Amino acid sequence: MKGKPTRANRRDEHTLAGAYAMDAISAKERDRFERHLARCEECAQETASLREATALLGTAAAEPLPAGLKERVMAAATMTRQQPPADEAGASARRGRARIKAGPWLRSLAWPGRVALAAAGAAAAAGLAVAAVFGVSNGSMQQQLDQAQTSSQQIAAVLTAQDAVMMTGPVTGGGSATIVMSHARHALVFTAQGLRALPASRGYELWLIGPDGTRSAGMLPTGSHDMTGPVVASGLRQGDHLALTDEPAGGSARPTASMMLDVDL
Amino acid sequence: MTVPGSQGPWNQAQPAPAAEAGAAAASSTGAGAAGPGAAGPGSAGASARHDLAAQIGQVARGDAAAFDAVFEQLGPSVFGAVKRVIRDPAQSEEVTQEVLLEVWRTAAKFDAGRGSATAWVMTLAHRRAVDRVRSVQAESERERRVAAADIPYDEVIDAVESSLERERVRRCLNSLTEVQRESVTLAYYRGYTYGQVASLLGVPTGTVKTRMRDALIRLRDCLGVPQ
Repeated sequence: MKGKPTRANRRDEHTLAGAYAMDAISAKERDRFERHLARCEECAQETASLREATALLGTAAAEPLPAGLKERVMAAATMTRQQPPADEAGASARRGRARIKAGPWLRSLAWPGRVALAAAGAAAAAGLAVAAVFGVSNGSMQQQLDQAQTSSQQIAAVLTAQDAVMMTGPVTGGGSATIVMSHARHALVFTAQGLRALPASRGYELWLIGPDGTRSAGMLPTGSHDMTGPVVASGLRQGDHLALTDEPAGGSARPTASMMLDVDL
Repeated sequence: MTVPGSQGPWNQAQPAPAAEAGAAAASSTGAGAAGPGAAGPGSAGASARHDLAAQIGQVARGDAAAFDAVFEQLGPSVFGAVKRVIRDPAQSEEVTQEVLLEVWRTAAKFDAGRGSATAWVMTLAHRRAVDRVRSVQAESERERRVAAADIPYDEVIDAVESSLERERVRRCLNSLTEVQRESVTLAYYRGYTYGQVASLLGVPTGTVKTRMRDALIRLRDCLGVPQ
């Protein structure tokens, strides 16, 4: 092996290149070896070429993808904000990795039909973006989600719950809504698209209606770009219905208008 | 109270199927999805490599169609490689999803100057599979003992269907010495550390490290990886 004159242990250290290229070292050694690579361009080149070889060991093991996997990931991608290019490649790439490892990430939820939803976790910090898939453009969704940062953690908790169930359907008077609910988390996430625009004096209010009575689950934020939400309604109980009505902008104590939506949860 | 049905057709998702059901579905998916993936990007020459790198660049700009194309090319490879290490189909599926979503999220970090798109994606995949297995192993060292009696070289050989790519890899694996091949398969396809490989084979760690590096250099040269 060629190389600049080095301290004796560099050569020793470099024999780790093979183990490193196969991830056959501990995380601690991995970090140390990466520091070594940062100091040794030739070593980095050799290691990269070994990575190419191990990648082919991987592609040689290709297997048919399980049914639905691609659809789930594609759907999740439309809800997942992408990291911007790094200003300082090394440092932020490392931070990014650590964050990813910590996250709960995507569950194997199998939604029927064309409807799919999933969540990327850890998320709040990384700028998690979650919402329903209506085949709408990413951009408007992204703007909505930018405004929803504060609730993204709650949203992620619902979307990643093991018992999460998603429903989607029409809203009387126009538009459609998507609900993801988790009884384990006692909460649901609501999004809507194409709701009829209301005058400024009016607003949409969500209701949870159950055996114990009717509780307001909050006003929907004024929509922009056709999308409303996602909003989190907590305090979900077994046997609840979710309803939507058109109320005075300040909200009502009880529904005063006809239900535009009433779904068994 | 209103009848829910009055709102029109609501689709309700069923709970996720049991792991067994998922596994059965996976194994019965058939060859349809295997076609393009099995060929692999590695066999497709320089222009395909270049295309894939360009597609990752487009993915970084939020191009869903490019992501779809990357998925078609590398999805089966990711799943296959992850499953070699993890074994459990449900967990493998989960990790595969994570990896591909990570490709979407972090596409902007891909640097074509530092390696191929295939190597970038497969590195993400293998590393994450290994991390998963090791976090499980931390709880139980059982795996290690099981593995001692079970050297997985044949796993590569008895691949479901043949392809030029697989042929090439098989031929090159066969060009290694027995001990080199053993080290590579235990490390890459099983996810063992060199320390674990050393204790499995009863040789010093220094020997295993050297063996692994020599083996990969030989494999690289045999596979014609550009340096």
